Amino acid sequence: MTSIADELTIERRGHSGSAARRRTNFVIFLGPAVVLTVLFFVVPVVIDIAVSFTDLSRSLRISEFTTEQYEKVFRTDRRLSQVIGLTFIYVFGTLAIFNVTFGLILAVTTTAIRNVSGSFFRGVWLLPRMSPSVLYILLWLWAVSPTEAGLVNQVLMQAFGLDAPLDLLTSAPIALIIISNGFIGASMGMIIFTSAIRGIPEHLFHAAAVDGAGTFAKIRFITLPALRWPISFVTIYQTLSLLVSFEYILLLTKGGPFYDTTVYALYVYRRAFESGQYGYGAALALFLIVIGVVVALIGWRFFDMERLLQRPRIEVH
Amino acid sequence: MIHWKIGTAALLCAALAGGSAAFLAATPLFAQETVKLELWSRQDPSGPLRPGNVIKAAERLNKELEAEGSPKRVEVAVRESPAKGFDDDALQLLKVFGIGEGPDIFIAAHEWICAFQEDGFVLKLDDYITKYPQHFGTIFPTLWPSAKCPDGTYAIPQDAEARMFFYNKKLLREAGYDAAFVDAMPERALSGDLTMDEVLEIAKQVVDKTKAQYGVLHRPNKGPDYIMVFQAYGSDFVDPATGKLLLERDKLTAAFGWFERGVKERVIPANNTAMEFDALRKEFYTGNAAFWMYGIWDLGSVAFPTYGLPQDEKAFFADWGWIAGPAPQKGGSPVTLTHPIVYAIAADTKEPELAVRLLGHASAADLNTDHAVTTTHLGIKPEQLEDPRYAKAWPLAKATELLKITKFLPNNSQFGDLNGIIYAAIQGIESGRLTAEKAADFVIEEASSTLEDVTVK
Repeated sequence: MTSIADELTIERRGHSGSAARRRTNFVIFLGPAVVLTVLFFVVPVVIDIAVSFTDLSRSLRISEFTTEQYEKVFRTDRRLSQVIGLTFIYVFGTLAIFNVTFGLILAVTTTAIRNVSGSFFRGVWLLPRMSPSVLYILLWLWAVSPTEAGLVNQVLMQAFGLDAPLDLLTSAPIALIIISNGFIGASMGMIIFTSAIRGIPEHLFHAAAVDGAGTFAKIRFITLPALRWPISFVTIYQTLSLLVSFEYILLLTKGGPFYDTTVYALYVYRRAFESGQYGYGAALALFLIVIGVVVALIGWRFFDMERLLQRPRIEVH
Repeated sequence: MIHWKIGTAALLCAALAGGSAAFLAATPLFAQETVKLELWSRQDPSGPLRPGNVIKAAERLNKELEAEGSPKRVEVAVRESPAKGFDDDALQLLKVFGIGEGPDIFIAAHEWICAFQEDGFVLKLDDYITKYPQHFGTIFPTLWPSAKCPDGTYAIPQDAEARMFFYNKKLLREAGYDAAFVDAMPERALSGDLTMDEVLEIAKQVVDKTKAQYGVLHRPNKGPDYIMVFQAYGSDFVDPATGKLLLERDKLTAAFGWFERGVKERVIPANNTAMEFDALRKEFYTGNAAFWMYGIWDLGSVAFPTYGLPQDEKAFFADWGWIAGPAPQKGGSPVTLTHPIVYAIAADTKEPELAVRLLGHASAADLNTDHAVTTTHLGIKPEQLEDPRYAKAWPLAKATELLKITKFLPNNSQFGDLNGIIYAAIQGIESGRLTAEKAADFVIEEASSTLEDVTVK
């Protein structure tokens, strides 16, 4: 028989043991993530802010601390509005056409057909993502080459009787960067949506079939509602990803012709690394970070992501 | 006893003296000091002997040091940069100097030298050049301005070349021009009788009347050649009175107008800046373009070895040729551009004297001729002209004629950035995004907002 005091001691010991375990678990499981976040996000942001208040230029020397870079951003840089407008078109276009819509179409169609065929087509659409970026863009450069040797021109001239070769890099550069990025981006949505569709209980489709629902009705009333959370996640994640990525654009169009495909992240790169204006590049990059955070918060609110992260109300056994 | 002592002492003295002599004789061997000089050089197939000659020069300098009885010996370590062009290379090297990891000696395009000078990275050479006339005394005086910044000389010219409009005589004849007209074009260009617009007109005839697809092609990246067009229309980009960047709207508009007319007449392709360098060369050297705006070394580097253009002078000029950048209007001044590469020494090198002497040997006429004849670059000294190998390399002798009217890119620390803006504007015109007037506005706005001390007229 134990006294109340003993029970309390055991409970306290138990609690203190559990608290210690919680702390240990925190260090083990979250520690690496915290360290990585601090090292690769917080520290770079702090450095970026510091650099943006200097005149750091091509010889990496700082002679003064100044707000001159921000004056340039707000007053003298006349390219910026065009660059921001283009970035919006690029991000929205790629997201709306490929990363979400086309990813969704791929997921729905490849899960609706036989499993072997579905896996094959998903595999095909994963190839752009698996290819090294330089190789992928080299294939694009061959495909859209403005000569008769280009794949697109070969098809158009031989199959459709086009007279002169098309020069898509000059005449439709924005469409090209959206398509080339979209072919890669669509595969991520495809995988996530496929996985979500697979998670929908089979009996719902059978029940719907019994009720007389056709293919489109099943998609409309069962599949799409079940994909709300994955769609929200893919939209927010890919928006942020597209905002900061520029390597495919740099390789394909070098941001041109003129500034036609210079999206914001590429503009920062060109200013900082091609012109050696590191201080100015840092100020521009800071705005990219701010834009990213704002977009993420809006997305969080708009898609009500908080509810996604809540515990499920029903425990399924 | 005394005799014995004297004898012993004498013997000891002799032994000591002999030992000392032997020790002293051996001393230089033990005390030999190896001075490592690091050389920064871009990996550049169009000039492998730029660093190669410095390595050979070390052997010569070491023999000289040995003869002088100096304990020092020089060893050159080459640090190759993979930059795709001299602009990228200079930007990279500025960063390397900025973090205190700079080399002792470097090779750069001349227009960047004042950027290094402004940040105190490069050694002033005036006194050394005067001190070693045997090395630098005969370098062509016309080349030295390319190595100067406002307060003195900071580099040593390594080579020179000539930029021109190559042309395909065969295509011009096919387009209906008679042989006499075609062959007289170089002379007419030099006399100011052939104009920039006439080049477009001839190119248009070629595009209209032959199977050739292109009239005039130019480089697809930032570089010096197209600056020739701006110089022809009067833009020198630097105010001679102040040394500051100078942008003159009318002159810029006139030069951009030439590109605009070229694209409008379908003579310059709208996608010239989107094409690959090798593709452009292929179009010209395989007879699909009338003119190619580039430099003399292209013959030795690409045209002869890759496309099999005749290496015999007579055979070459039967179907190919080149002209200086023509005058903007009849009776005006033609122009060519030379773009010397220079050797320079770091301001903080521990052995400036040895570095200067090393570069002096690297600038020897025979070594420079090795570079000149193997890469079709022009030499830096008159004595090279007497070298039979140089005389045999006929493109060099022919291109030297253009040096009479040649100009340089301005040695302004910001010109590299300005050139990037000019190139973007050319791309804007050719792709139909800008008119000539808008392109001039764009250059002035961009340069005024991103560069310092720009004078606009």
